[in-house]
Amino acid sequence: MAKQFLLRRSVFILAFFILAGLIYALGQDLSFPTDIIHLDTAVSQLPRYAVYSLMRMFLAYLLSFFFSIAYGYIAATSPKAEGPMVAFLDVLQSIPILGFFPVAVIFFVSLFNGSRIGVEVASIFLIFTSMSWNMAFSVYESFKTVPSDLVDAAGALGLSGWHCFSKALFPICIPRLIYSSMISWAGGWYFLIAAEIIAIGPVKHELPGLGSFLIHSTENGQVDRTILALLLLVGMIILFNLFVWQPLGVWSEKFRYEFSVSGPPRHSFSLLWYRKILATTQFRALRKLSFFTLSPLKKTITLFQRFGGKMTIIVIKGMGVLCLVAIFYAVSSHLIVFVEGFSKPFPIEIRNIPIAIGASFLRLVVAYILALSWTLPVAYWVGQSPPALKVVTPIAEIGAAIPAPALFPFIILFGIHVMGGMNAAAILLILTGMQWYLLFNLLGGVQNIPADLKEVARSLGLSRWHAFRRLFLPAVFPALITGSITAWGGGWNALIVSEYLIYRHEIHSVTGIGAMLDQAIYESGDAQMILITLLSMILTITLLNRFFWRKLYVYALGHFKIEY
Amino acid sequence: MNFIEVQKVFKFFQQDRVLMPVLKEISFKVHEGEFIALVGPSGCGKSTLLRLLTGLVLPTEGSVLYKGKSLTSVNLDSAMVFQSFALFPWLTVMGNVEVGLEARGLSEEMRHKRAAEFIDKVGLDGFEEAYPRELSGGMKQRVGLARALAVEPKLLCMDEPFSALDPLTSLALREEVLMMWEDHTMAVNTIIMVTHMIEEAVLMADRVLVLSPRPGTFLADIKIDLPRPRDKKDVRVNEISDQIFSLMAR
Repeated sequence: MAKQFLLRRSVFILAFFILAGLIYALGQDLSFPTDIIHLDTAVSQLPRYAVYSLMRMFLAYLLSFFFSIAYGYIAATSPKAEGPMVAFLDVLQSIPILGFFPVAVIFFVSLFNGSRIGVEVASIFLIFTSMSWNMAFSVYESFKTVPSDLVDAAGALGLSGWHCFSKALFPICIPRLIYSSMISWAGGWYFLIAAEIIAIGPVKHELPGLGSFLIHSTENGQVDRTILALLLLVGMIILFNLFVWQPLGVWSEKFRYEFSVSGPPRHSFSLLWYRKILATTQFRALRKLSFFTLSPLKKTITLFQRFGGKMTIIVIKGMGVLCLVAIFYAVSSHLIVFVEGFSKPFPIEIRNIPIAIGASFLRLVVAYILALSWTLPVAYWVGQSPPALKVVTPIAEIGAAIPAPALFPFIILFGIHVMGGMNAAAILLILTGMQWYLLFNLLGGVQNIPADLKEVARSLGLSRWHAFRRLFLPAVFPALITGSITAWGGGWNALIVSEYLIYRHEIHSVTGIGAMLDQAIYESGDAQMILITLLSMILTITLLNRFFWRKLYVYALGHFKIEY
Repeated sequence: MNFIEVQKVFKFFQQDRVLMPVLKEISFKVHEGEFIALVGPSGCGKSTLLRLLTGLVLPTEGSVLYKGKSLTSVNLDSAMVFQSFALFPWLTVMGNVEVGLEARGLSEEMRHKRAAEFIDKVGLDGFEEAYPRELSGGMKQRVGLARALAVEPKLLCMDEPFSALDPLTSLALREEVLMMWEDHTMAVNTIIMVTHMIEEAVLMADRVLVLSPRPGTFLADIKIDLPRPRDKKDVRVNEISDQIFSLMAR
C-alpha cells in the first residue's frame, strides 16, 4: 500500500516536471511562421464565422470524445496505469488554456509550416484542451463504478473484448459522458476567444470565427457588433441544446443503472421527432441500403477481430511504446534548455508572483462566495419543485457558454462605472467562469436525492430551514465539493480572460497571476516569464487540490454518501 | 364522523404529455383503531393510494377526508415507514429519530428523552450513536419505525415495510408491529399497510382492500375476523388467501 502510494506520488511529481519541461522546451524556440491570416471584420461575414467556429468546436469535441473514452477506459481498467494516468490528468486539468499555447504554436503551427491548416489544427487543439479533461474524468469514474453484477453477467454470457465493452461497460458511462459533454461544450464556447487567437509575443494569428470577431469588436469598443455576435452565439447555443443536448440527455436516461426512479421521466420534443423520423419508411429503406453496403465491412471487421486480435494488440502496444520514446526523446533533448531556463538570471518581475497569486486567490474567494450565495438557493428551489429544472438548465447552459470577454463591455459599464474599479469587473468576470460549474453539479446532486428521503422530510413536517439543513445540504455536499473543485479550476482558468482585457484599445488589467501570464504571452512573449508564471500557477492549483479539496472530497464521501 | 374517508378519488400522472390514470374511482372508509392492508399487483397504484391517505400526494379528483376535513397538504397526524427505510445516512440513529421532533419544535432535552424512549421500544437500546450504514436491514427498519412512532402519530402508514428484509427478520418485526399496535399506551392505533404479499396481509390486518391492475380500481374489501395471533398454517387463513389470490388473478 505504502509503496504504491509513494509510487503514485513520485509519478505525480515526475509527470508535473515532464509536462513543465515539455511546455518550456517547446516554448524555447519561438520561431514564428510569417504567414499571417487577415481577419475581415465585416458584419456580413458573421454567419460564415459562426459556421467556422461551430466546425472547430465539433472537431475538437469529436477528438475529446474518443480521447476521453480511451483515456478513461485504460485508466480505470489497468491497475498499473491508473495512478500515473489519473495524476497526469490532474495536472493537465490545472493548466490554463494559455499554458497550451506554446505547444499549439510550436508543434502544430510549425508542423504545417505556418500555413492556415496548422493554425486551424492548433486552434482545435486548444478547444480540445478546454473540453476533454473533465470528460475523461467522468468516463474514468463511470468505468470505476460499473456494477460488478453487470460485469459478472457479461462474463457469464461469454461476452469479451469489444462485445463486453460495447454491451456492458460503455452504456454505463453514457449518462455521465453526455452530461459532462454538455458542460465541456459550454466550456469550449467560453474559451473560444482564447482559442481562435493564437499568439506569442507580437506575432498574432487570428482565425476567422465568432471568437475573433467578438474580441475585435470589444477591443474596438463596437458594442453593437458585440451584441450582434453574442445574439448569434446565444441563438446557436439554444438551437444546439434543443436539438442535440436535450434529446441526448433524455435518451441517456435509459442507461441509468438504478432501481429507484425519482420523479416522472423527462422528455424532449426533438427526441420524439427523431424517433418519428427513424420510423418512417424512407428512413427504413435508407437503413436497408446501408445494411447491404455495410455488412461486408462488418464481416471483415469481425473476421479481423477474430484472427487479427493479437496482432492489433501488438501493433497498438508498439505504437504506444513509440509514442513514449518520442516524448522521452523530446523531453530529454530539451531538458538542458529547461535547466537553463532556471539557471538564467530571473527577471525582476518574478518578485511580483506571490503577490499576484495572493491577489488572484482573494478574487477567486470573493467570486466563489458570490457564486455559492445564489446557486445553493436555486438548487434548493429546483429540489423542491423539479419542473423548475426545465427553466434553470437551459439558462445555465447558455450562461456557461457565453465567453467572458464578450461580456466585458457590459461588465465594464457596471463594474467600473457603478461598482468602481477594474477589481470589481474582474471578480464579475471570474464569477462567469465559476458559477455555472457549481450550479451544474448542485443540480446533479439535487436530482440524485432519493424521492423517499424527500417524502420523509415532508411527512415528518420538516420546515424549510430544517429540510435545508438536515436533508438538502448533507445530500448535496459531495456534489457541492466536486462542483467547487471544478468551479475553482474554471476560476483559475478564467483568470486569464478576466484580469487582463482590452476595451476600446485600452488595456484594463489588475495585479494577478492571470494578468501576468497574459502579459507574458501577448505582450513580451518572454519564454522564461511564461514558464515561471505558468509553473507557479499550476503548482498553486495542484497543491490546493491535493491538500484542500481532495481531503474535503474524501471526507464528504465518507460522511454524506447516499447508498442504496 | 369517520377517521378517514376516501371519496371517489381519481389520480392521474403526466407522462409524455399524456395523462396516465393510476387510480380510478376509489372510495372507502377507515375507522379509528383498524389495521388495514392494501394489496394488489405491482404497479396498481397502491403506494400512490397510501400517499394520498397521508396527504403527500393530492388526488386529481375526489377528496380524502381526515376526521371530516379534506386533506390539502401533508397530514401531520400521520407518519410513514418505507420499504427502503429512507434513513438519513448522515445522521445517527438518535439523529434520525429526532428529526421529526425537531420539526415539531421540541426542546433539545425533550427530543433526546423522547427519541431514546422510542429507540428503546423498538429494541435498539445501545445503538443510539450508530450510523445507518453500520446497521443490518432489520435494525434499519426498526429505526424507521422508531422515527415514525416518535412523532406520536394517530395514523401509521407503511409502504411494503417488510419486503426488503429476510423472512426471519420480517417475521419478528411483524410480531413487534402488531404488539405496538395493540399497546394502548402508544398514540398510534390505526395502521394502513401496503403489501404485495397476500399472506402477510391476511396474517396481520383487520381488513384487506384489494386493488385491480393499473389503473387501480377497487376490487374487494375483505374483513378478517380471525383471532390473533394467527397461524399461517391455519385453514381459514389459507382460505382467505386463496380467495384474494383468485380475485387478483382474474
